[in-house]
Amino acid sequence: MRISTNTIYQSGISRISNLQSEQTKLMQQISTGKRISSPSDDPIGAARALEISHAKSINSNFTSTRQTAQLKLNTLESNLTSVTNMMVSIQSSLVSAGNATYSDLERGFIAADLKTTLDGLVGLANTKDSSGNYLYAGSQTDTKPFVANATGATYAGDTNKLLLQVDSSRQMAVNLTGDEVFQAGGNDVFTQLQDLVNLLNTPLTAGNQAAFSAGIASGISNMQKSLDNVLTVRAGIGSKQNELDQLDISGSDLDLQYSKSLSDIQDLDFASALSDLSKNQTIMEAAQKSFVKTTSLSLFNFI
Amino acid sequence: MASNILNIGKSALAAAQIGISTTGHNIANASTPGYSRQVVVQAAAQAQNYGYGYVGQGTEVASVTRIYNDILAAQAVRSQSNSSSADTYLSQMTSINDMLSDSTAGLNPAMSDFFGAVQQLSTNPSDIATRQTMLSYAQSLSSRLQTTNNRLNEIRDSVNTQISSSVNVVNTYAKQIASLNDVIEKAISANGSTPNDLMDQRDQLVLELSKQIKTTVVSQGQGGYNVYVGNGLPLVVGKDTFNILATPSPTDPSRLEVAYQSNDKVTVLGNNSLPGGVIGGLLQFRSESLDAVQNQIGQIAVVLGDTFNTQLKQGFDLDGSAGTALFNIPDPVVNASAYNSGATTTPANANPAEVAAKIIDAKALTTSDYKLQYDGTSYNVTRVSDSTTQSFTSLPINIDGIAISQTSGTMLAGDNFLIKPTQNAASKFTLAITDARKLAVGGSILSANTNVANTGAGSISSPVASSSYASSPLASPFNVTYNAGAPNTLTGFIATEPVTVTSNGTSVTYAAGTPVTFTNGATITTAGVSFVLSGTPANGDQFTISPKTATGPSDNTNGLLLASLQSADTITGNKSYSDAFGQMVNGVGNKTRELSILSKSEGQVLEQVNAAIQSESGVNLYEEGTNLIRYQQAYQAAGKMMQIASQLFDVLLQLGT
Repeated sequence: MRISTNTIYQSGISRISNLQSEQTKLMQQISTGKRISSPSDDPIGAARALEISHAKSINSNFTSTRQTAQLKLNTLESNLTSVTNMMVSIQSSLVSAGNATYSDLERGFIAADLKTTLDGLVGLANTKDSSGNYLYAGSQTDTKPFVANATGATYAGDTNKLLLQVDSSRQMAVNLTGDEVFQAGGNDVFTQLQDLVNLLNTPLTAGNQAAFSAGIASGISNMQKSLDNVLTVRAGIGSKQNELDQLDISGSDLDLQYSKSLSDIQDLDFASALSDLSKNQTIMEAAQKSFVKTTSLSLFNFI
Repeated sequence: MASNILNIGKSALAAAQIGISTTGHNIANASTPGYSRQVVVQAAAQAQNYGYGYVGQGTEVASVTRIYNDILAAQAVRSQSNSSSADTYLSQMTSINDMLSDSTAGLNPAMSDFFGAVQQLSTNPSDIATRQTMLSYAQSLSSRLQTTNNRLNEIRDSVNTQISSSVNVVNTYAKQIASLNDVIEKAISANGSTPNDLMDQRDQLVLELSKQIKTTVVSQGQGGYNVYVGNGLPLVVGKDTFNILATPSPTDPSRLEVAYQSNDKVTVLGNNSLPGGVIGGLLQFRSESLDAVQNQIGQIAVVLGDTFNTQLKQGFDLDGSAGTALFNIPDPVVNASAYNSGATTTPANANPAEVAAKIIDAKALTTSDYKLQYDGTSYNVTRVSDSTTQSFTSLPINIDGIAISQTSGTMLAGDNFLIKPTQNAASKFTLAITDARKLAVGGSILSANTNVANTGAGSISSPVASSSYASSPLASPFNVTYNAGAPNTLTGFIATEPVTVTSNGTSVTYAAGTPVTFTNGATITTAGVSFVLSGTPANGDQFTISPKTATGPSDNTNGLLLASLQSADTITGNKSYSDAFGQMVNGVGNKTRELSILSKSEGQVLEQVNAAIQSESGVNLYEEGTNLIRYQQAYQAAGKMMQIASQLFDVLLQLGT
C-alpha cells in the first residue's frame, strides 16, 4: 500500500497521544485511589455507590439518634434510682410510725420527716435533663410537671410519648410521663404521702386509734404498690437500653458492610493499575523509539 | 531530419521541465491540508508517416492531473460530520458528567446532610440550636440546587453561543465555495484544463463545512458543486448561496434554534432535520441530555420541597401555631409562542390569551415539558418526552400533577404555549422560613376517628390540611354520616363549606349543605381538609374529623413523619429523592460512556478514510525524490539528444566546405 508522508507522522502522533491519555487516566486513578472518578467510568457502579453511601448515611443518623436515646434513658434511670431510694426510706419510716409506743410529738417528727421527703420527691419529679427539659412532663417539657399543693401535688404535663426513630423500623419511647411514674392506676404517691403526713400530725386518741392503724397499714401497702410501679418502669428502661445496645451492634455491622461494599465498588485495585501503568510505559517507549527511527529515514540523505 | 531530432529533444526537455516543476510543487505542498498530489500525463506526439513507416515526433504533455477519488472524498465528508457531531456531544456531556462526579460537594451529600439534620430535629424538637442547624442545612441544600442549576444554565448559554458561531462559519464557507465554483467553472470553460489547486481548496472547504453541519455534495457537469446541508437543504447552488440563521425558538426566547432562509421566508429547523456536525451534536445534546438532566434536578427539587411543605403544614411549630411551608417552589414556566395571534396578525387578536400553570400534585410530576396547542375547538396538550397528546374541550386542565389555566385574553386557533414545570425549579428553590421556631415538628393538627358503633367496613384516612388550612382552621369537629340509598350519600359536613370529591382526576363540587354522593376511595376536600373514605360503610356509620391543639415543645410526632420522607417513594415511578438522583447520575454516566465509545469509533472510521485518501492522493516524499531524479535524468538525456542533433548538423555543414 502506498503511504503518504503525512500518514507516517499522523499515525505516529495519534498512537502516542492515545497512550498518553491512557496514562493520564491511570495516573489519576492511582493518585486518588478511586476506580471511579466520574459516573461515566462505571455508570452502574457510580449509581450503586450513591445508593450505598445514602444508606450508610441513614444508618449513621440512626446511630446518633440511639446515642440521644441512651442519654435520655440513662438520665431517667439515675433519677428513678433516687426515687426508688426515697420510697424505700418512706417505707421504713412508715413501719416505725406504726409503733404504738410513740408519742404524738414523736409521730410529729416522723410527719415532718415525711413532709420533707414529699418535697424531695416532688423535686425529683420536677428534674430537668441536660438540655433543660423537664423529664416527666410528656411533651410539655417547658412546664413544671408537678406543683405541690395542700393535698399532695397536681400533674401539669401531658401523656405524650417522645418517640425516637432508633432504627429503620423501630420507634422507641424514650420518656416517662409523670402520671405513669407517680400516679399509676390512681395510686398517687404525693396524695398518699400528704395523707400520711396529715394522719401522723393528728393527735392520737382512743377514738381514732383504729383508723390510725388502718391508715398506716394502707399507707404501707399503697407505698409498696407505688414502689412496685417505679421498679416496673425501671425494668422497662433497662430492657430498652439492652435493645439499644443490640441495635448498636447490628448498626455497626451494617456500617461495616456498607463501607466494604463501597470500597469494592469505588476503590482501585492497585496491583492491576500499577501493572497496567508499567505495561503502558513499555508500549509508550517502544512507540516513541519506532516513531523516531521511522521518521529519521530519508531518501534525501542519499541524493 | 536533424531539425526533427532537435524538435524531439526540445519536446522531451520541456516535458522533463514540467515534470520537475510538478514534482517540486508536490514537495512544496506535502503538508498542505487537502492537497492532492499532481502528476504529469505525458503522451507520444503524433508520428509522421514517411512511407517506410511512422517516425515518432517526440512527446507532449497532455495534462497535469490531480490524483483525487471522489468516492473517498464523499466518504470523508460524511464521516467527518458524524465524527464531529459525536465529539461535540461528548465534550458537552463530559461537563455534566464532571459536575456530577464530585461525591463530597455534589447534590447528594447536601441531601444526605439535610435529612441527617431533619432526623436530629425529630430527636431534639425543643432544642433551638438543632432547629437552627436544620435550617442551615436546608439553606445549603437550596443553594446547592441553585448552583447546580446555574451551572446547567451556563452550559445552555454556551450551546447558544456555539450554535451562532457555527452558523456563521457555515454561511462563510458557503460564500467561499460559491465563489470558487464560479472561478473553477470559468477556468474550465476557458481552456478545458482543470485548476487543480482551486479544486483542492474547494474540497477542503466542503470538508470543513461538514465539521459544522451534515453536508452532501452533488457535482455538476461544468465542474460546479451543489452543496446540500442537513436533510437536503440547498446551501450552495452554483454561484448562489442560501443562508441558515441562529434564531430564538418561538416558544422559548432563551433557546437558539437553527433556521433556514429562502426567499425571505425563515423556517425553524427541527433537531431531526439537522443531524451531524457540530450543530447536530449541540442540538442533540440539548434536547436529549441537557433538558432531561435539568428537568430531573428540577423534579427532585419540586417534589422534595412540596412533600416537605405539605408535611410541615400537618404539624405545629414551637409556638403552637399551625405549620407553614419551608421552601418556596416556583410555578411552572409558561411561554407563549412568538407566532401566536396578536394585534398585528391575521386574524387580529386585540386581547391575546395568557396561560398560567400551577403544580397541584408534585408526586405526579414527570420530567417532561408540555406543549399546549389550541386548534379552534379543542386544547391539545402534548407531553414532549413521549409525544403523547391529550385533547380537552376547555381550560383549566389537570395533567400529570399540573393545572393549566387561561388567565386572560382570547385564544385563537393555532395559538401555542410551552409549559416547563421543572426546568428552572432548582434555580428558584429558596427558603420561606428564617425563624427556626417556625419549623412545625410537633403534633398533627387534624385527626380522624371511626365511630366505635359503626357496623360497616368503611375506613377513613388521616386527614391532610391544605396550605389554606392554617389561616382558617376548623373551629370544632364534624361528623360525616353515611346514608345508604340510591345514590349512597354522605352528610354532616360543615354547613357553610362546599365539598369537592375527586376521583381518578375528575372533581365534582357540591354546594354547602347539600348531600354528597359517596364514591369509594375518592378524595373528599372541604374547609381546607382532605381525606379519603373507602370500603363499604353501613347506613348510619359515622366518621369524625377533629382539629387538635398544640402540645408541648418536645412533641416530635410530625418530625418523625418529616424524617421518614427521606426514604419514601415520593417521585413518579416509585422513587425516593435519592433514587431519582442516582438514576440521573446513572443516566448521565451511561450516556457519556456511550458517546465516548461512539466518538472513538467515529474517529477511527474518519482516520481510516483519511488514510485511504492519503494513500491515494497524499504526497510521499520518497516517491517525489525518485521522480526528481527521473525527470532530472530525462532532462539530461534530452539535452544530450539535442547536442547530438547539433553535432549531426555540424557534420552536414563540414561536408559542404
